[in-house]
Amino acid sequence: MGLPEDPLWYKDAIIYQVHVRAFCDTNGDGIGDFRGLTQRLDYLQDLGINALWLMPFFPSPLRDDGYDIADYKSVHPGYGDLDDFKTFLKVAHERGIRVIVEMVLNHTSDQHPWFQESRSSRENPRRDWYVWSDTDAKYRGTRIIFVDSELSNWAWDPISKSYYWHRFFSHQPDLNYDNPGVRDEMWNVMKFWLEIGVDGFRLDAVPYLVEREGTSCENLPETHAVIRELRRRLDGSFPGRMLLAEANQWPANLRPYFGDGDEFHMAFHFPLMPRMFMALKLEDRKPLTEILYQTPEIPEPCQWCLFLRNHDELTLEMVTDLERDYMYEAYAQDKTTRLNLGIRRRLAPLLDNDRRRIELMNGMLMSLPGTPILYYGDEIGMGDNVHLGDRNGVRTPMQWDGGWNAGFSPADPERLYLPLILSPVYGYQAVNVASQKRFGHSLLSWMKRLIRIRKSTSVFGRGSIEFLHPDNHRILAYVRTLDKEAILAVNNLSSSAQAVELDLRRFKGNILIEMSSRNIFPRAGDSPYLLTLGPYQFYWFRLRRI
Amino acid sequence: MTEESILTDEFLRQLINVGEADILVGVPTYNNAATVGQVVQTIRAGLLKCFPRERAVIVNADGGSTDGTQDLVRGVSVNDQRYVSDLPALRTLHCISAKYEGGPAAGAALRSILAAAELLRASACAVIAGDSTNLESEWIERLLRPVYRDAIDLVMPLYRRHKFDGLLVRTLIYPMTRALYGKRIKEPYAAEFAFSGRLGSHFLGEEVWQNDAGREGSEICLTVAAMTGEFRLAQTYLGSKSHVDSRSADLVTALRQTVGALFWSLEANLETWSSSHDSHAVPLLNAGPELTVEPLRVNRKRLHRMFCSGVTELDPVLRTTLSAGTLAELQRIAGLAEDDFRYSDELWIRTVYEFAFSYHKSVISRDHILQALAPLYRGKTYTFLIENRDASGEEVDRNVERLCMAFERLKPLLVELWK
Repeated sequence: MGLPEDPLWYKDAIIYQVHVRAFCDTNGDGIGDFRGLTQRLDYLQDLGINALWLMPFFPSPLRDDGYDIADYKSVHPGYGDLDDFKTFLKVAHERGIRVIVEMVLNHTSDQHPWFQESRSSRENPRRDWYVWSDTDAKYRGTRIIFVDSELSNWAWDPISKSYYWHRFFSHQPDLNYDNPGVRDEMWNVMKFWLEIGVDGFRLDAVPYLVEREGTSCENLPETHAVIRELRRRLDGSFPGRMLLAEANQWPANLRPYFGDGDEFHMAFHFPLMPRMFMALKLEDRKPLTEILYQTPEIPEPCQWCLFLRNHDELTLEMVTDLERDYMYEAYAQDKTTRLNLGIRRRLAPLLDNDRRRIELMNGMLMSLPGTPILYYGDEIGMGDNVHLGDRNGVRTPMQWDGGWNAGFSPADPERLYLPLILSPVYGYQAVNVASQKRFGHSLLSWMKRLIRIRKSTSVFGRGSIEFLHPDNHRILAYVRTLDKEAILAVNNLSSSAQAVELDLRRFKGNILIEMSSRNIFPRAGDSPYLLTLGPYQFYWFRLRRI
Repeated sequence: MTEESILTDEFLRQLINVGEADILVGVPTYNNAATVGQVVQTIRAGLLKCFPRERAVIVNADGGSTDGTQDLVRGVSVNDQRYVSDLPALRTLHCISAKYEGGPAAGAALRSILAAAELLRASACAVIAGDSTNLESEWIERLLRPVYRDAIDLVMPLYRRHKFDGLLVRTLIYPMTRALYGKRIKEPYAAEFAFSGRLGSHFLGEEVWQNDAGREGSEICLTVAAMTGEFRLAQTYLGSKSHVDSRSADLVTALRQTVGALFWSLEANLETWSSSHDSHAVPLLNAGPELTVEPLRVNRKRLHRMFCSGVTELDPVLRTTLSAGTLAELQRIAGLAEDDFRYSDELWIRTVYEFAFSYHKSVISRDHILQALAPLYRGKTYTFLIENRDASGEEVDRNVERLCMAFERLKPLLVELWK
């Protein structure tokens, strides 16, 4: 099959986020590996996704699930070796699946040799590769991100007898991007993987690269300069490869990460995600449209990345206090599900395992402007385990079938890196790929159809959006347009049936063709177009003048 | 399907877009452009501040305004096209406005609001006058919170008033409702109040709407419905009361809206009022200073003159309305010099009770009966002003309480008349 030649491939992508560790174990050590992932590429191809985002798979003490990297140019032995990765990459490409790897630029593990050298003495050549200080009073205007576990952004190092800067866990010292050696070396790391053939990077925690006194140490111009330098090097040597920004920021602060099309190709739209959940619970489109109105235009080659859930908590950093309180009450009354400023739950449990709401949320994910990302397991409605620490509850093994270890691993169950979900509702015997493959009405089968429809047109990935404003606030309606093609999406955010009148005068003369059934609906005219929708129902209509 | 005949198609269309609501605030209007903008903005602020998570709606029932009142109401909606930067809002706040049929009428407005509340299944509702000039956003919370959070069915306001303001309420409406129905609600006829969806639906289904009392005095009928049913009542202190003086500028109109409705309620609730013997306090949720005593110029002479001429000119009417003894006593005091004039509490109560009975018997046109009460009320007002000329707020309160007790004590007279 191979990969289509298109430098804007990421605009049409449907990305599947997976941790190698969690997908499939072939050597029986209880940990997923690249050989297992390679074996399961048929499944992913069948699902219809065309890009994979791999979470960190590098050697690491795994104190933050691999985001504490100890060696950037190798593969964690638990997941295989570099050759296994290369084989996986080749097979993925053969199936038309691109591969995006995680690149944690901001910090390393405190076990990384660079940090070990840096802390060893103040005279070490790599001393300045990290941010050291004799006092913990610098950069006081900087917020603490992991508020549940860290009291300060500074940590005392007894070896070098000074403080080092860390925006995340204290075992993750921040690299010093004011040092040209750091910038060169990180480019070398990226070049290493690009030469192997990866298609892009998800750059972790990019707002925090550079620190300056008197600022929030986020989104600084110097940070943007670092990114522009990386992008220039990428375009110069590896055209068609992609950079995706993880910057959990408000839209106005996110916009600069696209630069003039010379920084990131894509960025996560963090503020949108919680508002999709909020709109659903409120049964009101206002939170959703409000944030999209606040979302600035981005350069033509750039793209937003949309997601419902990922490996982290459902972050509530980019909402107001009022909205956060509401979200906690609406989605996390059980306080054990709260972590930092967020909610550590998977999609299905968040939505009470309500198939209609799961479908509606995925429908919006696939039809709003941007590239959708699916989190592994959500396509079958996997559950979580809030009793596992940190965010491990949403990182449990993929549930392939109802047999031994859910088909994930031949190991003794006790050896699995995390226990399987065993609850009566979400346990692997109830929720798994094999059983859902057998039925056309399963969530998995429905997701495959949805992805197929999404991929049948470039409008969703590349088209403009125009919101309609029906008086019924429970209806979210918009028209996506690309050249002469137009698609009308109508979503009922309410738990009850709704009638809505849409102003389709601009499309007068077009007939509406419902995209999943290809059924024909009446022609749009001068009168308000009356539609009725069942609870949480959504329609995608192709508008055609015939 | 009562609602179908109450609400216009346009009203219904707007309600469909609102869907279900937790809280509804109704604003009756008729050419209130001068005040309604501020009123609905204040309501909006109160709702967003106190009920940010609830589904709230402001419903304007308009009597046919031609001054842009409706546009002012609609203009304060909060939706995805209209942000209110200083008022963060989680969800859409619909402000809808529709005309009801038949021209301006307080009863029709309230009925439309009740019908809207029932259709939207609102659990807590408030009515706020569109001509209010000193509404505060805190009033919204004080009125609605007890209904929404504490399952109170009717929350009536207490206002800060001048000791000579609202005398019809203090000398007749309050004492008589209290004596009749045993609940001490000081403002049974208010421009701002809140009620539960349960009470609203109950009242909407009553037959009151088919007669003049319902059409003109629906607010007091709602209070009576709450007093006589299995409903939880409360009072809350709001603050100074101030409205554009249009509702009751004409005394006879005010009497129709209040006394007429109260008299009418006697027929519908005979069993209740005839069997209740004393009164009980209604919980006061917020307290505040109720009476102010600053000097106020009142033309007392005119009141006295109107009483005396009324007793003379309305003699044929009063003969059919009052007992011989009561009429003779009224004629006697009408003959007194102004300095000697005093309309005693007991005589006033006998007058009122006998008027109520005549209203029931319809000895003459009920409207004529109410009109005939006007000069007599002026006489009682005169006496009240004299008696409380130098009284402090507490003393006025005590005097009103004494009058109330007298209404209760003499209630057997009314029962006897009815028998």
